Amino acid sequence: MAKLFPKSANKLPVQIIVYLCVVGCIATAAAQYYMTPKYTRVGYAPMQPVPYSHAKHVGELGLDCRYCHSTIDTAGAAIPTSQTCMNCHNQLKAASPALAVIRESYQTGNPVPWVHVHVMPSFVYFDHSIHVNRGIGCVECHGKVSEMDVVTQVKPMSMGFCLDCHRAPELHVREKADVFNLDSGTIAATQGIEAARTFVKDWNIKPPVSCSGCHR
Amino acid sequence: MPNAAEQTSGSSEALLEVKPAELPRAALVGGNRSLSWITDKICGITEERAPAWWWWCFAAAAFVASFTVAGLTYLVATGVGVWGHRSPVNWGWDIINFVFWIGIGHAGTLISAILLLLRQKWRTSINRSAEAMTIFAVFCAAIYPLFHLGRVWYAWFLLPLPNSNEVWQNYRSPLEWDVFAIATYGTVSVLFWYVGMIPDLATLRDRFHAAGRGLRARIYGLLALGWRGSNRHWSNYEMAYLILAGLATPLVLSVHTIVSYDFAVSLIPGWHSTIFPPYFVAGAIFSGFGMVLTLVLPLRALYGLEDLITQHHIDCMCKVLLATGSMVGYAYVVEFLIAWYSANPYEGFGFINQAFGPYGWAYWVMIGCSVAVPQLFWSGKVRRNMVLVFILSLLVNLGMWCERSVIIVTSLSRDYLPSSWGFYSPSVVEIFTFFGTFGVFAVLFLLFIRFLPIMAVAELKASLPEAGPGARSGLPLAGSPGHARRSYGLMAAFESPKRVLLAAERVRDAGFRKWDCITPYPVRGLDRAMGIGRSRVPRGSLAGGIAGFCTGMVMIWFMDKLDYALAVGGKPFFSPLFAFPVSYELAILFAAFTTIGGMFCLNSLPKHYHPVLKSESIRRGTDDLFFIVIEKSDPRYDPARTRALLEGLGGAGIAELER
Repeated sequence: MAKLFPKSANKLPVQIIVYLCVVGCIATAAAQYYMTPKYTRVGYAPMQPVPYSHAKHVGELGLDCRYCHSTIDTAGAAIPTSQTCMNCHNQLKAASPALAVIRESYQTGNPVPWVHVHVMPSFVYFDHSIHVNRGIGCVECHGKVSEMDVVTQVKPMSMGFCLDCHRAPELHVREKADVFNLDSGTIAATQGIEAARTFVKDWNIKPPVSCSGCHR
Repeated sequence: MPNAAEQTSGSSEALLEVKPAELPRAALVGGNRSLSWITDKICGITEERAPAWWWWCFAAAAFVASFTVAGLTYLVATGVGVWGHRSPVNWGWDIINFVFWIGIGHAGTLISAILLLLRQKWRTSINRSAEAMTIFAVFCAAIYPLFHLGRVWYAWFLLPLPNSNEVWQNYRSPLEWDVFAIATYGTVSVLFWYVGMIPDLATLRDRFHAAGRGLRARIYGLLALGWRGSNRHWSNYEMAYLILAGLATPLVLSVHTIVSYDFAVSLIPGWHSTIFPPYFVAGAIFSGFGMVLTLVLPLRALYGLEDLITQHHIDCMCKVLLATGSMVGYAYVVEFLIAWYSANPYEGFGFINQAFGPYGWAYWVMIGCSVAVPQLFWSGKVRRNMVLVFILSLLVNLGMWCERSVIIVTSLSRDYLPSSWGFYSPSVVEIFTFFGTFGVFAVLFLLFIRFLPIMAVAELKASLPEAGPGARSGLPLAGSPGHARRSYGLMAAFESPKRVLLAAERVRDAGFRKWDCITPYPVRGLDRAMGIGRSRVPRGSLAGGIAGFCTGMVMIWFMDKLDYALAVGGKPFFSPLFAFPVSYELAILFAAFTTIGGMFCLNSLPKHYHPVLKSESIRRGTDDLFFIVIEKSDPRYDPARTRALLEGLGGAGIAELER
């Protein structure tokens, strides 16, 4: 009876095990890199219907975040209405073709179809006001929007990202005057960790880490 | 070293003096069949063209299975709301069917493991198909909890994998214990099934190779991992198989215990009961044996396996049904007693509601089919009527399905507050999905009987009445006096296990070290005759078990206490009590891995190329002949003298193997 498998087949099991180990390591590393929000979400910069530049309005002209996002410290996230834009643009560049969408919205009352950048899943309860009123700066989650021509997601916004801060708020709080100042530093960075701990204690900051804190 | 033969003869002399009573034992293989008849019969099923009924059944099964595919596709596309669950009945057919299928799965491991440990040799005719049934049933069962997640692609959240949510599983929940129990059960069942099949796959490989069907020979060859029936391999193999049985026994008991915890650990009246674990395990074995009979009886009739599955086997299975059915009936009575004795009005109401509430019909079907039906097996007339046994086995599973329905739906629909009572009926999607799983199961089972040996051929041979000293096979092969170009050693055939046993003792006493016996099944006493010591497999198993248990404890402590201390219901962050079930399952899982891995390492398998596999004789070596191979590399080897030694021992067909 002729042989069914060649002699070299005896080396196969070890070769296959080594191969599987290598492939397994590569797959794990690749999944870790490519399949987490650090890769899939960071860098998301969709084209908006109006080429609004935060760098121009905030960085150069010095608009405060709250001029447009006016309810951020009392209720929640707010995308400005076209009325807010027209406060200035009924005078400035009133005929600019780039603003045609704004003018149309202003006249018809239909909202501008802005594209949602920082998407929070509907099963997460998130309130901006408690964060900005307890020393969490805009820059903490949104990055230096004041330098962005197109709004780009810079933080993964994963549950782990939330928890990092909820578990150690002292590393992320800043003076209340600095919350809307995107160039400010955290208390821990400027005054030391002890000052940050005192701030957390004084302001009674107890971020929830239980499930129902956010998944209500 | 005392001579092994002397020892055995000494003990038999003692037995002669005592004159033990001869106990009549039913023959396990009827018709006085030979070794090769068994090989031909079982392997023939795989080798022949698929019979017409197989194609008809396969087409029908595939059609039925498409209902599951359709139901699940619709669920994934639409959302889990397409199942009819709503508060208060949040578990309906999905968990009923999950428990139903998992329960069916229990008979396979019971037959292969517990009956092996209890030395119930009648298991050999049915263990292979029962193990296959187990695996396919676990597969069908796993569909339900996974798709009940709704977003099934997030099922990996159930596993302890690092993730961007930086949160770990809640190991205080029996649902998480379930994940480990079912996963371990599925894995160990597959390993047990596969390891048990390796010698038979080798037989198929050699038969297909001899018949010149190269593709299938190669496929079976790859799966057989180069098994050549070496007795040094058998020694480790038998030890590994025994340890796996020892591991699977607590596993099979723990799995349905943990499934019962899904209910018993909650506070719903009708669920919150300490009798659940034993009652669930008995019910699982009961339903599993029902399913084994449902599958085995048609197989027996269609393939003419009456000599392999004899009336004795069917009697045994019916008696197991009778015993476990009675246990289940006893549990029903005790449940009522507990409800009355506890004087808890909710508990009491729950049980009266089971029998006389809106789902009372399910309760009475359950009593009829699970308690009354098995009592018929007291009668030998019933056990001998195959059609009746088949119908009763179907009724058993109908009863057990109703039992799960009674437990789950009836209890949930009416608990403490009458204001929150509800009524549940399954949606069309649920009915489709459940109906279809029978097709999924049947498709898998039909593929199994078509392509894999449906009975443990090697084990059946070992259970032949003439096996052990005295069995005789056909004529040995013609030898070849010539010399191989690059010699590996000499191979001699022996026609019976008795002869190979005697020859092996002589070869051992001649001082050979590098030699081996090739046998179609593990011959009792051959290890001692060859001077092989106790297998070292158990050391690996022990190490694996300890490692698994510690891994479980450390993992849960790290995840639930250190890395993400999550407060759940005021329970401690870590306690060895709630960490125990998962650690227990991991101990079994790791031990199973190290047992099988250790067996393969000690046997240096897989080894697809070996001089013995190249020889003409191996086809008989995995069928009905016994060989001794003496390697050239042994210092005492001498071509002429060794050949003379083998001839003197009665070896036939002596041939030199090519390296």
